[in-house]
Parts: sequence; C-alpha cells; structure tokens
Amino acid sequence: MSSALLVVAFLAAANPFRSRGSIPEEASGRARLVPVLVGGALLIGSVAALAWWSGPMLRALQITPETFKIAAGFVAVLAGGYAFVVPTPSTEPELAGWRAGVWPVWYPRLFAPEVMALAVTAGTGNGVAASAGAAAVAVGGLLALVPVRGQVARRLVVWLGRILSAALVVVGIWLTIDGIRDV
Amino acid sequence: MRRRLALHLSVLVVGAAVVRVAVVPAEVCPPVTSGEVRAAVDAAAGWLERGVQPSGRYTYGYDRDADVVSPDYNEVRHAGLVMVLYQAFAATSSSEALRAGDAGLQRALGQLLDHGDWIAWAPPGEVTSGGNGLLLAGMAIRRAATGDTTHDGIMRGIGRFLKEMQFPDGSVSSDWREGTGPIDNHSLYSTGETAWALVLMDREFPGEGWGEAAVRTIDYMVSDRDRAEGRFSRLPDHWAAHALADLRSDLRADPRLDYARRLAGYFSIRLRFESQRLGKGINLLVRWYPGTPAGVGTAGEGMGALHRLAVDDPRLSDLAEGIDDRIVCTAGLMVDRQVTPAESADGAHPLLEEGAWFYRGYTQMDDQQHTITALLEALPVLAAREAGR
Repeated sequence: MSSALLVVAFLAAANPFRSRGSIPEEASGRARLVPVLVGGALLIGSVAALAWWSGPMLRALQITPETFKIAAGFVAVLAGGYAFVVPTPSTEPELAGWRAGVWPVWYPRLFAPEVMALAVTAGTGNGVAASAGAAAVAVGGLLALVPVRGQVARRLVVWLGRILSAALVVVGIWLTIDGIRDV
Repeated sequence: MRRRLALHLSVLVVGAAVVRVAVVPAEVCPPVTSGEVRAAVDAAAGWLERGVQPSGRYTYGYDRDADVVSPDYNEVRHAGLVMVLYQAFAATSSSEALRAGDAGLQRALGQLLDHGDWIAWAPPGEVTSGGNGLLLAGMAIRRAATGDTTHDGIMRGIGRFLKEMQFPDGSVSSDWREGTGPIDNHSLYSTGETAWALVLMDREFPGEGWGEAAVRTIDYMVSDRDRAEGRFSRLPDHWAAHALADLRSDLRADPRLDYARRLAGYFSIRLRFESQRLGKGINLLVRWYPGTPAGVGTAGEGMGALHRLAVDDPRLSDLAEGIDDRIVCTAGLMVDRQVTPAESADGAHPLLEEGAWFYRGYTQMDDQQHTITALLEALPVLAAREAGR
C-alpha cells in the first residue's frame, strides 16, 4: 500500500468526522480535549502494537498476509457501508474525567474492528512506523475537530463522515482486489 | 456501561469468528521434504505407467466407489500424458517413464496427417492445436533430455502446423478441418499450449523463427485474448506461464513480464484458497471439498513455471519468495492427499488407486499429469531450502 493510500485508509477507518459526533463534550458543545488526547494516544499505541505483532499473529493463525488483506478489505467494506447508513454512532455512557479517553473515545469509537484489521494488514506490508504515523494523522484530524460546535458545522461534519465512510468502502474493495492479486 | 461494553465485545468476538471461519480459515501447509516429493512423483508416474495399454493408450479414469474404469478417452489429455512422462524422465531419469511416454508417442506417430507443407497428429475425428501443441512440447522435452534427434523432421512439421493454426492477430484456431482448414473457434487452453510448444521449438531449434512465432500468440494472450474470447475475467493459464518461463530471454519484453506477474497472482489466490480447504465440518460449507487434483496441479505447475522465470529475470525477483512459499505449500498438500499403498490396500483394485489423487472418489489421467508437473517444479525449490539457499 502506498503511503498516501495508507493515510487515506486510516483516516477512513478511524473516521474523525464520524467519531466527532459521539465523543464527550463540554457544556459549550466543544469536544473535551483531554479525553481526545488520551484516546488518540491509545489509538496510535494500539495500532503500533498490532502492527508490531502482525507477523507473529498471522503466523499463529496460519494466515498469509496476502490473504489477511482480503479479510481486512471485507471488514472495511462492511464497516464503511454500516457507517454510511448510520452516520452518527450511538452515544455511549462515559467514564469519568480523563478515563473517558479510554471509554468511549479509544474504544469503541476510534479503535474499531476496521482499524484493528487495517493495523494488522498495514503492519505486515508497511511496517510499524508507517502504520502508527497514518493513525496519528487520523488522530490529528479528530483534534482539529475538537472546537466544532453549532448546528451547521455539525451537519457538515456528519456529511464529511459519510464521505469518509464511502471512502472506506472503496479502500476495502481495493484491499480485497490487491489481496487477490498478491503473490 | 458494562452492558454496552459487553455488547461491543460480543459483536467484536462474533464478527472475528465469522471472518475467521468464512473469510480467512487457516491456510494449512503440511511439512514436506524433497525426498517425499520425489517419492510422490514416482508413485504417480507409476499409476500412469501401469495404465499403458498395448494400443499405446493410457488408463483414462477410475471410479473407486463404483470400481469402474472409465471407458472415455481424450486425445489432448493423451498428449498431456506423453508430455508429463517425458518431464518425469527429464527430472528423474526414470526409464519406466521414458518407456511409457514412448508408448503414447508411438501411438500418436501412427496417426499423423502429412499435408505436404506441414504434419499434424490426427487421431480419428480430430486435428487439434491443443493436442498437437502438447505432443510437440513432449517431443521437445524428450529431445532435450535424450539428445535423440530421430523425430526432428516430424517436430518441424508439427511446428509448421501450429503456425498454420495461428491467425494474424496471434490467436489460435482450436481445430483444423479438411476442406476449411483452421476453423474460426478458440478453445480454453489450446492457445497457451500452442505458444508453449513453439517456445520449446525455439529452444531446440534456435534461429529458425519459432520464438518469434510464439511471441505473436503470447502477445495475443497478454493483450486481447480474454476480451476477444468473451471471458469476464483473466484466464489463469498455466500453459501461458510455461511459455513465458521458457521464452528466450531477449524476447521477454516488459508487458509479457507484467502478464507473468498477474498470472502469479491468480495462481497464488487459487493455491491459498486450496490450502484453506479441509473438506469437513463447517469448513466444508464455506470452502467445499478439496479441489480437483488437476485444478490444484495446474495452479501449482503454473506457479512452478513462474518460479523459474522469477529466479531467472531480476524484474520479477520480488515475487520469488511468495511464489516459493505457494509451491512448497502445494507440494505438501498434494503429497498429503496422494493415495498411499496402505490406503489403497483395501480397495477393489489397489493398483488403480495407489499413487493417484482422487476427487470425491474419482481420478482421471490429468489429475496425475498436472500434479506431477507441479511436484517436479517444487523439487528444486525444496532442495534449495533444504540446502539453506
């Protein structure tokens, strides 16, 4: 996967626009910065960890990286399709204080199954640093959306989230085809 | 919150289980050694050699559940058997394989049609490019392995017939008919078989223009074939892989190697899929039975041919490791699936089972043919790995 596609894939999978719609907020409507920072750091760390262990993990599961790419594509298509139809995830109960960065920001919002699958397939193909870097771009995107509030801006974010969901479907199809064509 | 966490984790676990079972079951590659592969080749060649009949025909197929030897016959497959027996002789120096191949060749040589400007093998009712292509490929392999030049005139004659069957765009007619000549029809594999035979002719008779003739058909396969012949997707053509692998190095233009790269992808997904097949339990529902040995063998031999190309041409060297993994895995699978003497002992006719590969109770000559070639292609890969190279 090229670096550009990797970034697009992680942006589409972590989908900061869609995630912004269901993360803890202040009374003013801004997202709470500390949970976003905690969740984002955990996302980068967990993507790096999965990418690091991707080789041994796939060997233990007796799956070649080329075949797993097909599975990652399959997951991406399903997740992208679901996110397109349901553009705003349901609101989750929050842990108190900075712990809200663990639940619900890191899981289940950012570290979703499609991100996990992508981290494993990117780990075998692009390495740890590139995978974590691409995840960091997605986190950066979410951080940039922290100040977003107001009806119009929120509607725009939802629609941009939909566009990224559609992009995730395209990424999934690409991954599947690439996995089929890989040797 | 615990309920929500439990819900999310449940969806994650169930989803992962579904993906594992239905999308990416384990790819099982039984360990195998070059010695075991060599023994499997000998056993399968033995099945073919035992099937030689006084007429020069071979046993066509056997249904072990019904204990019935198939009365059918297919002349193109006859030529394929002659060819693979010569491949086995070339790789193992087995005199039995040479004798069995010669028996089938003699039968074919008794059915030649001499047209004056070309010669073709013409068993009753058919003059096919595919059959002649495989017969000629076999003769070329025999000539290279034995140094016997007895049949050079006939080989050149059949080569001219294959050129006669080529259309200007490089496509190949499937059949020649008295009165009309090459008919306007293509068959699935005769194009690749023709190209490979012409490539091997170029190797045996350099400087006579056979390679240039082969390239016309190879380029047709590279560019137009699948669209022109009405196929929705690319044909994973193992004969095309052989043709590319044996093509003279100065004729290996980039688009031809790009085609080889695509072929490697098709064979790879076929073989990876095959290694996921257990033929039992839930796996049977999502992956069905282990594939026909001929089907697995064609992908394996195509991959084997591309291994030679990847080793020989630096432009494909990035594929070599993946190709080798698939070849070794396929060898392990097929050695594991071959009927052993112990397994055949309880059968009605053990010698019709021993050394063969069955698909749901039935085996056919091409099951052995393609799998033997795949295993022969795996031998040098395994030997290199065992030597630590």
